[in-house]
Amino acid sequence: MSAIQGTLSQTFSQLKKDPPGMTGLVVVTVIILVTLLAGIIAPYDPLEVDVYDRLSSPSAEHWLGTDQLGRDVLSRVLLGGQIALKVSLVAISVSMAIGLALGMLAGYGPRWLDQVLVITFDTLRSSPTIMFALAIVAITGPSLNTVIAVIIITSIPVYGRVVRTQTQALRDRDFIKAEVVMGASTFRILSRHLLPNIAPPLLILASMDVPAVVGMEAGLSFLGLGVSPPAPSWGSILYDGYSYIRNSPWPIIAGGLPLIAVTLGFTFLGESLRDIFDPKLRKKGADS
Amino acid sequence: MSALLSVRDLRVRYPLDGGLASLFDRESASHVDVAHGVSLEIERGETIAIVGESGSGKTTLAMAICGLAPVLGGEVCFNGELLETGKNRRLLPDRKRVALMFQDPVGSLSPRMTVGKLLAEPFHIHPGFSDNPNRSAPDLLALVGRGEEFADRYPHQLSGGQARRVSVARALALEPELLIADEPTAGLDVSIQGEVLNLLSQPQKKMGLGIMIITHNLNIVRHVADRMAIMYLGRFIEQGDAQLVLDRPRHPYTAALLSANPKPDPDAQIDRIELRSEVPSLLQRPAGCEFHPRCPYAREQCGNSFPETSKTGQSRTFNCFYPLG
Amino acid sequence: MTASSLEIRDLSVSYATPRGRLQALREVNFKVPEGGITGIVGESGCGKSALISAIIQLLAPNAQIDSGSVLLGGENLLELDAAQMRGFRGERISAVFQDPMTSLNPVLTIGRQLQDIQHRSRASSEEKRALSLKMLARVGIPDAEQQLKRFPHHLSGGMRQRVAFAMALMTEPSLLIADEPTTALDAPLEVQIIHRLQELQRDFGCTILFISHHLGVIAELCDQVVVMYAGEVVESGSTRDIFHRPAHPYTRRLLECDPARIGQRTASLPVIQGSLPDLVELPPGCIFADRCSETIDRCFNKHPRLGGIQHRAACHLAGDVK
Repeated sequence: MSAIQGTLSQTFSQLKKDPPGMTGLVVVTVIILVTLLAGIIAPYDPLEVDVYDRLSSPSAEHWLGTDQLGRDVLSRVLLGGQIALKVSLVAISVSMAIGLALGMLAGYGPRWLDQVLVITFDTLRSSPTIMFALAIVAITGPSLNTVIAVIIITSIPVYGRVVRTQTQALRDRDFIKAEVVMGASTFRILSRHLLPNIAPPLLILASMDVPAVVGMEAGLSFLGLGVSPPAPSWGSILYDGYSYIRNSPWPIIAGGLPLIAVTLGFTFLGESLRDIFDPKLRKKGADS
Repeated sequence: MSALLSVRDLRVRYPLDGGLASLFDRESASHVDVAHGVSLEIERGETIAIVGESGSGKTTLAMAICGLAPVLGGEVCFNGELLETGKNRRLLPDRKRVALMFQDPVGSLSPRMTVGKLLAEPFHIHPGFSDNPNRSAPDLLALVGRGEEFADRYPHQLSGGQARRVSVARALALEPELLIADEPTAGLDVSIQGEVLNLLSQPQKKMGLGIMIITHNLNIVRHVADRMAIMYLGRFIEQGDAQLVLDRPRHPYTAALLSANPKPDPDAQIDRIELRSEVPSLLQRPAGCEFHPRCPYAREQCGNSFPETSKTGQSRTFNCFYPLG
Repeated sequence: MTASSLEIRDLSVSYATPRGRLQALREVNFKVPEGGITGIVGESGCGKSALISAIIQLLAPNAQIDSGSVLLGGENLLELDAAQMRGFRGERISAVFQDPMTSLNPVLTIGRQLQDIQHRSRASSEEKRALSLKMLARVGIPDAEQQLKRFPHHLSGGMRQRVAFAMALMTEPSLLIADEPTTALDAPLEVQIIHRLQELQRDFGCTILFISHHLGVIAELCDQVVVMYAGEVVESGSTRDIFHRPAHPYTRRLLECDPARIGQRTASLPVIQGSLPDLVELPPGCIFADRCSETIDRCFNKHPRLGGIQHRAACHLAGDVK
């Protein structure tokens, strides 16, 4: 598909002109590469306990020091990254897909369905995430899947609302009416005319959502509602480090820095992409 | 044989969503009648021009025939068959046989589709028309006088005239029997207006297409229309042969509208009929003849009842108590 | 030279584009005599937006004035600094555009906006209000007192355009630029507004530059006409000259295309074949040559200069035509 290639290379050339956006792209690429290769890069087994070498400062052997059980912090951070990205990838794609479907139904479907869905979205959104998580953990026990489920359920209304508003705005536009008059089926209108116009802003929203989800996972794990020990999550690394902060600041720094990097990287990239794809901000190509 | 399109006493009513204010202000109207009893017939191979000021309901009439506006009453027959109304009281015309060109040519093209895909779209929707939709697109481009290099462009890269041509191609793709063109020359330069209108008249001769042109450009009416109908506040107040109406309007509003048209001749002598104020709001429809508050010839009777339709000669109708000679 | 005449001398404006410099205006020359209404006829791509933005000095960042001068009452606007120019805009030059909704603030009342535009005046707020009422009445708005309290969206398109004219004339400018102000309006309103504009012009004595592609409106309203094509003035003269004795083939073609000038019903309407030339790589000869039906060899090699004194045309054959 040369059209997609064209869009990609065009996007990239515009991204190059925007330093924060380019920084974001580099940071995000590095984070993704490093976490994908975490199993190979990690110098130690992240679960390997060494009680004689507890809470050590960074050294040639342990670049980021060790934690209270003598586990290599760098290896734990790397593997924790895998968990963080897995959670965000799964949670965001599932909630985006469901939100997209429900949002388009609400925006294009009959009015009663719209009202039912909007009330459901608002009810879900009005309940505090932590309370919600506690309730689910009480039923299922803490696990990675619980974290993912909580994030999905609380994110669906966010995507659903955005998609609904977009769909409603597009529904009355002439190009949709023109397809109706031509006899296009509802499915065709939704999939070929509405979706391509809703998807780009939604993908940008999703990319800016990654830090929020990573933060949420860390927060839930920090509270002991997420990934169960001894599996390394950035949240549990922070929690462990927090208890021993007087003895050694290194686990806290090592667990916090990637969170900051993910937040800044995805936010910079997302904002830059949003500006590039916003037709109002986009400079018209030479119309020749 | 029955007419291609026959509209009887069509009424279109939009509900008004007053929001919070309507809770407190019960007096305000809960609906607005945009078409208020419209009747017209279109024969095969004929062009009818619908003329009127903005807000007169011209576009709504087109939308209603295409099933995009809620119909309150009246009936619409296509080739003698009564059109059903579906959910929300919208008409259900046969999409292949009725085509609509929107006022905004760029806005009516799906923004993330290339011209090539946009032109193949009618054939994808109605697979019976072409064995290979993607191969038919270049033929359509040729039909409207554009080459294949055009196929990769996106709507926002087209000029008004180019987008208009693409709309014409899409509208004619399925060889419809009726084409409704809403302001087909709006925003076009004078030097290319003719191109678009000529594109429409060619297939008309070939396939006996019936065309309904909605326009406020009176200059083109004489050249493209066989008949014309003048709309005011959701009603036709005069209808008839285009030449006759243009040369000898009977309704004062028609005369005023025609006289208001500036002539491209600095020495032209125009006897203008000055109209008082502006088109009234549809929410406050005047009693009697809706035009009487602005009419220079209005008398007492005009404010009391709506004039019956008068018929003179062949298909010439008007609604006025005191028609012009 | 009088206080409010406008003269454009050898004005060239170009835009930086990825393909090279797009020469939007090339040596544009015309005079708008004081207290007259001059119409600019031009189809899309004729360079009218570049011309307006050069006159009011609000050019896009990628635009550049390559040469020439814009003289208002003998003063070259292009030599003014930013602060002086700000003083000129609104005070001595006003503009009215096609869509009044874009120039009116949707969240402020009409009255508020009419007062705000008098911010340079030392008058008391009662005096400003009185002037607002007077101006609204002058542009033909009934019930002005009530209208002051209303918001732009309460008004019809025609009323909004009248308010825009009231605002533009409030400071009694020397020059009023009207860019397609009646294009979006229905014919009866269009006629009302151009007549009102003629009256206002007589009363205020300002110079009006009226841009439109509607030949009928130009013929009815203007004393002088400038015909532009692809960034050049191809013909200028009195309205009668242009409409009765057009000297440039483009003007003639344009007039022929106007269905209002064709009395008898025709099966197919005339059009100007071809398309605008590439303004990045200009043809060496006449800018209209490849769409013109009356060319000689010289038309493709040598660029014609604007000839004549009162009635001017940029055509090698213009002399023969007369």
